[in-house]
Amino acid sequence: MGSILLVAEFQKGRIREATYELVAFARRVAEASGREVHSLVAGSGVEAAAEELAKKGGGTVHLVDHEVVAQYSLDPFLRAVTAAIEGASPDIVLFSNTPSGWDLAPRVAAAHDAAFVSDCFEVEAEGENLVLLRRVFNGKFDARVVPTLPVVATMQPGATSAFEGSADGQVAKLDADVTGESRTQFVEVREAEKKGVDLSKASVIVSGGRSLGGPEKFEEVIKPLAEALGGAVGASRPVVDAGWLPHEYQVGSSGQTVQPKLYVACGISGAIQHLVGMKSSNFIIAINKDPDAPIFEVADLGVVGDLFEIVPALTQAVKEAKG
Amino acid sequence: MKILVCLKQVPHADARLDVRSDGTWIQEENIKFEINSYDTYALEEALRIKDAGEAEVVVVSIGPDRVTQALRTALGMGADRAIHVNDPDAEGSDSLGIAKILAAVARAESPDLILMGLMADDGNFAAVGPMLAQLLDVPHTTTALKLEKANGSFTVERELEGGALEVVKLGTPALITVQTGTNQVRYASLKGIMAAKKKPIDTRSVADLELSGQVGAAAAKVRIEKVYPPPKGEGAEMVEGSTQDVVGKLVGKIKELGLL
Ligand SMILES: Cc1cc2nc3c(=O)[nH]c(=O)nc-3n(C[C@H](O)[C@H](O)[C@H](O)COP(=O)(O)OP(=O)(O)OC[C@H]3O[C@@H](n4cnc5c(N)ncnc54)[C@H](O)[C@@H]3O)c2cc1C
Ligand SMILES: Nc1ncnc2c1ncn2[C@@H]1O[C@H](COP(=O)(O)O)[C@@H](O)[C@H]1O
Repeated sequence: MGSILLVAEFQKGRIREATYELVAFARRVAEASGREVHSLVAGSGVEAAAEELAKKGGGTVHLVDHEVVAQYSLDPFLRAVTAAIEGASPDIVLFSNTPSGWDLAPRVAAAHDAAFVSDCFEVEAEGENLVLLRRVFNGKFDARVVPTLPVVATMQPGATSAFEGSADGQVAKLDADVTGESRTQFVEVREAEKKGVDLSKASVIVSGGRSLGGPEKFEEVIKPLAEALGGAVGASRPVVDAGWLPHEYQVGSSGQTVQPKLYVACGISGAIQHLVGMKSSNFIIAINKDPDAPIFEVADLGVVGDLFEIVPALTQAVKEAKG
Repeated sequence: MKILVCLKQVPHADARLDVRSDGTWIQEENIKFEINSYDTYALEEALRIKDAGEAEVVVVSIGPDRVTQALRTALGMGADRAIHVNDPDAEGSDSLGIAKILAAVARAESPDLILMGLMADDGNFAAVGPMLAQLLDVPHTTTALKLEKANGSFTVERELEGGALEVVKLGTPALITVQTGTNQVRYASLKGIMAAKKKPIDTRSVADLELSGQVGAAAAKVRIEKVYPPPKGEGAEMVEGSTQDVVGKLVGKIKELGLL
């Protein structure tokens, strides 16, 4: 049996929360199966961060400290991960399902002719096997996946609590040459532009999804309810992709994160990328014609029905209630 | 330049999905299929490069007979020719199996650029792109929102979290996976559909690609044991009744929240 290796990630100069979630997953699997935990920390000037990870559950922390890995870039990171795999001999490698994780992890799997499973929200050792749970069909179903080992998996950020205990680990400098040809060239990161519409300040948001079918339906159905409630309009990604509304209205992992007093989701299925942007709203009403839509898991009040019937009636009733 | 676009045909976004009797996937009989949403944006990017100059656009899809429809649509939109890997021996392949098949096709075609979707709307693996790049030993990037071609290289804006972007440059040959919303996808015009009837669709088997035994269900390292509706957990309090009843209850709640 091999070890379990997790690949740490930095955000604003610190090890990000999602990495400590990987620690939590890794330690649970390690405990159940008798594996050892190893981590990879690759960055520039990150020795202290590696020490911290070693004290906070990361096990044996393999350190690559070099300016070419100061930010994510394909070839240097492939070299770092390959060296860590040689050093730790894992049969389970965990990444976070983040933009660098999903860029790198499948490639690492292919390089080692290994199984690959992405965006898992649970991982468990069951006897000899590893069982991974994940969503399919954009959240409509869950799937129980059993890979052959070795396996590379990415874990969904936020799917478990970060490991908060302390544990004795140590930092081991990895003897890896991460320099050399880089076939992709990092140019820059552009932070999100400040937008005209700041949904994070709205106390009520009424959001519509793909099922609205066109921009005119937002005007006719969604906007009047938002106005009656003195709130703002929001949208799921397909609405913005189709050009019905500008990007600043998009709620979710690649849009805005909102926390209004009331969030009304109209014809939105509840894919995880949407949920992460709105699930901490104070109160959520979901209207969807599919009783199994995952949006109902995070909603406080749910209505199974046709939004084109319910939303206009609700708008009317709100107006009447206001007098 | 030659561009290879990998297309998957997936259940239509509005199709009613049910788990099939063996519990390991959805029931695929009698539902509508369409080209994976992400892949339509990848195809549109390829066609724009073609429209802007010299490029041949080849589309490839692995799947059963029904996939011909997706390839015809792509040809109708403007792709020049299509390759259909249609073989029961490919069925049940995991992401790596699919990547191996596509790698064999790509080796024979030697494209300068491979465009794919970031992820397929059915399995949501987002795996085949980077795997294929590794098998072909070419650079890749994922989640492209914008592609610019400049003498032998591509500058790509890739999506990060919360609206941030990363700018990456890659030399060719390269593989790029495309995010949704990258462009406005064209429809196949009537003229395009007529012209597509004369365009070739070549079919290939797993044996043609010399991959017998290396792909398909038996070679898969990833097995989906069970697919099931997500457990309801705490879940919402469901409001039932006539529209009038429902609306009355919602307004009551909104009042309770102090929002009216
Ligand atoms: C990297 C990445 C980032 C992403 N970022 C985001 C993001 O920031 N925000 C985001 O929203 N998505 C994001 N997505 C996309 C996400 O995965 C989903 O595809 C998207 O959220 C689905 O939008 P939807 O719910 O509107 O559409 P669908 O999933 O197609 O759902 C439509 C829903 O409408 C219901 N419906 C249909 N007709 C009616 C009717 N008449 N009345 C009531 N209900 C009806 C259906 O039952 C269904 O549940 C991202 C994906 C990726 C891979
Ligand atoms: N059967 C297939 N035929 C052709 N291309 C595919 C197939 N499956 C996946 N792809 C490509 O790989 C991308 C990512 O798919 P996946 O890794 O399955 O989420 C898709 O968007 C397609 O471009």
